[in-house]
Amino acid sequence: MIKRYFLFSALLVVLFSPFCLVAEEYKFDLSEIEKKPYHIGGYLEFRPVLFGLDRDASLYKLKFFKRDEGKTIEEYNGKLQIEGSYEKGIARLFVRTNFDLTYSYLGWEHNEPQRMIYEGYLSLKPTPSLSFKFGKQILLWGKGYAFNPVAFVSRGKDPDDPELALEGFIAASADYIKSFNGPLKTLSITPVILPVYEHINDDFGKVNKLNFAGKLYLLLYDTDIDLIAMTAGSRTSRVGMDFSKNITTNLEIHGEFAFINNQRKKVIDSLGKISESKFDAKNYLLGIRYLTASDTTFIFEYYRNGTGFSHLEMKDYFTFIDKGYDLFLSKRNESLLKKAASVTQGNYGRPNPMKDYLYLRVTQKEPFNILYFTPAITTIMNLNDKTLSLSPELLYTGFTNWEFRLKGTALVGQRETEFGEKQNDYRLELRVRFYF
Amino acid sequence: MKKILICLFALLIAVPAYAIDGTQLLKQIDRNLNPESYELYRKLINIEPDGRKKEYVLFTVKKGRDKVAALFLSPASEKGRSTLRLGDNMWLYIPNVGKPVRITNLQSVVGGIFNNSDIMQLDYADEYNVEKIEEQGGEYLLHLKAKTKTVAYDRLKLWADKNKKLPTKIECLTEASMLIKTLYFKEVKDFGGGTVRPSVIETDSPLYKGYKSVIIVANIKKKEFKDEVFTLTFMSNIESLRK
Repeated sequence: MIKRYFLFSALLVVLFSPFCLVAEEYKFDLSEIEKKPYHIGGYLEFRPVLFGLDRDASLYKLKFFKRDEGKTIEEYNGKLQIEGSYEKGIARLFVRTNFDLTYSYLGWEHNEPQRMIYEGYLSLKPTPSLSFKFGKQILLWGKGYAFNPVAFVSRGKDPDDPELALEGFIAASADYIKSFNGPLKTLSITPVILPVYEHINDDFGKVNKLNFAGKLYLLLYDTDIDLIAMTAGSRTSRVGMDFSKNITTNLEIHGEFAFINNQRKKVIDSLGKISESKFDAKNYLLGIRYLTASDTTFIFEYYRNGTGFSHLEMKDYFTFIDKGYDLFLSKRNESLLKKAASVTQGNYGRPNPMKDYLYLRVTQKEPFNILYFTPAITTIMNLNDKTLSLSPELLYTGFTNWEFRLKGTALVGQRETEFGEKQNDYRLELRVRFYF
Repeated sequence: MKKILICLFALLIAVPAYAIDGTQLLKQIDRNLNPESYELYRKLINIEPDGRKKEYVLFTVKKGRDKVAALFLSPASEKGRSTLRLGDNMWLYIPNVGKPVRITNLQSVVGGIFNNSDIMQLDYADEYNVEKIEEQGGEYLLHLKAKTKTVAYDRLKLWADKNKKLPTKIECLTEASMLIKTLYFKEVKDFGGGTVRPSVIETDSPLYKGYKSVIIVANIKKKEFKDEVFTLTFMSNIESLRK
């Protein structure tokens, strides 16, 4: 009996003593900070989504007119994002790839191979003041959190998830930085050349054009200021500016303004007549970031989309879809729905297609002292038709390199409104990420 | 005569305390902790009541009184994230987001007991005034008051070793003197280049009962950087400063 007890005790000591030692020791091996010329990392993501369909909505009819998928559909998304770099002397090679795999009612799908490289460039840094970048790169300009009217040379971000990595464009860019003493602390200049030819950035705009853009950044009187311009080429010429400043220790304000020359807008009326207008558009944004004493952060932005559609124009578009759907039901004729689809992609179907939006995101850091837990609620409100999306979420990052996010989105709106005519009434998703 | 003697005696014992220049002493403590411009590596460890740990490794560079930049080297989920402080201006760069975002000075960039003051620390003498000094055996007790509202903790009580002029304990307090956390400075180590300082800082907080955090310091080197390193445009390139 004693022998058995002794053996059991010895086993306990053997089993648990290493953990005790580890718990008491603070190790910092130099190998952890050793710089290697190369780096490989990234994350693996699994994101199942449940959509609650609105079977009376215009955009449901446009997409599902030939099929009946019931009241809900499920989608299983996998994502593998890998980044790698190699550095030698003043040169650095960087690649970020993104592979999306989806299983839905349409079966298995993945993103197009040419869209799998998000970034891939060579950078040269002869001095801390001067650097050059050649290749596919992201040039995300602007100070807004959810919207960036002055992001002239990048793809539009999704206001529903503004922190997602974006795909870049192939470009040549440079950064020249100069620091000063006095009210002007920093000045930097970023010129950009963006070629648009067949198979090179051909989704940016008109092909066979060389586009020139530039940004002048100033840190003046503790205010970040950017002056931005892009010459006419694949897109019409445009100029813009943005700013950001801390007013108090817990309040930051920011804004953007863009003036776009000769913007074109394609509008369809309720009878299906397509017309195109040309006008100078003004897009702007004003926002704040406010932190309370209890660690609640408010991000609030007003966005004016001068290129957007009026409530009446959107109503006409939805009315035309409904007509097309009625024609399909009565005569199996898809022609009107096909016509509606042709003005949807990149036009009526882009995120936030109307004119005036309010964005509010409230996050609470670690409520009830639950470390690494951040609940949040986000709303995007369309001021023109008084509709909104409401997204509560729970984020937990307590396990090293793991991230868990549960997010729901409800769309609130009457018929013939932006959020009321979307194909879904609600969406529920879980996102699990493992970083390596 | 008796009164005069008592007064003289009182003056004699009072003189040593008043002879200490609090600001000079605090500046001396700052210089003993770090050179004015330097690079260093730190590991931040959050330890939960059940023993579970989460570790972050940071590379930090500082120049002069008010320029600090820090880069997360690990864990993988934070790698590449950097923060920059230029006076009262503070920015956060997240590689996925692709652009620096101005943050409010009090916003936390990592979870747990740490906040920006742990990551973007300036010299104590630059952020605090010495209100009072007490002598407690072999230690000085400095009562510090923040110079501006931008500082995370309004008051500090800093205990420093009289001989080494290094902190042994710091209590971080609110304006109403409520204790937020206590830092314990341990394991004095010679880092070379004349820097001999505590290499481990343990932290506990009455706000997070049972939780503990530890900062381990390594490879402090006196180093000069160009001003352009401490700019918003350079934030995505801080890794290039590591050799």
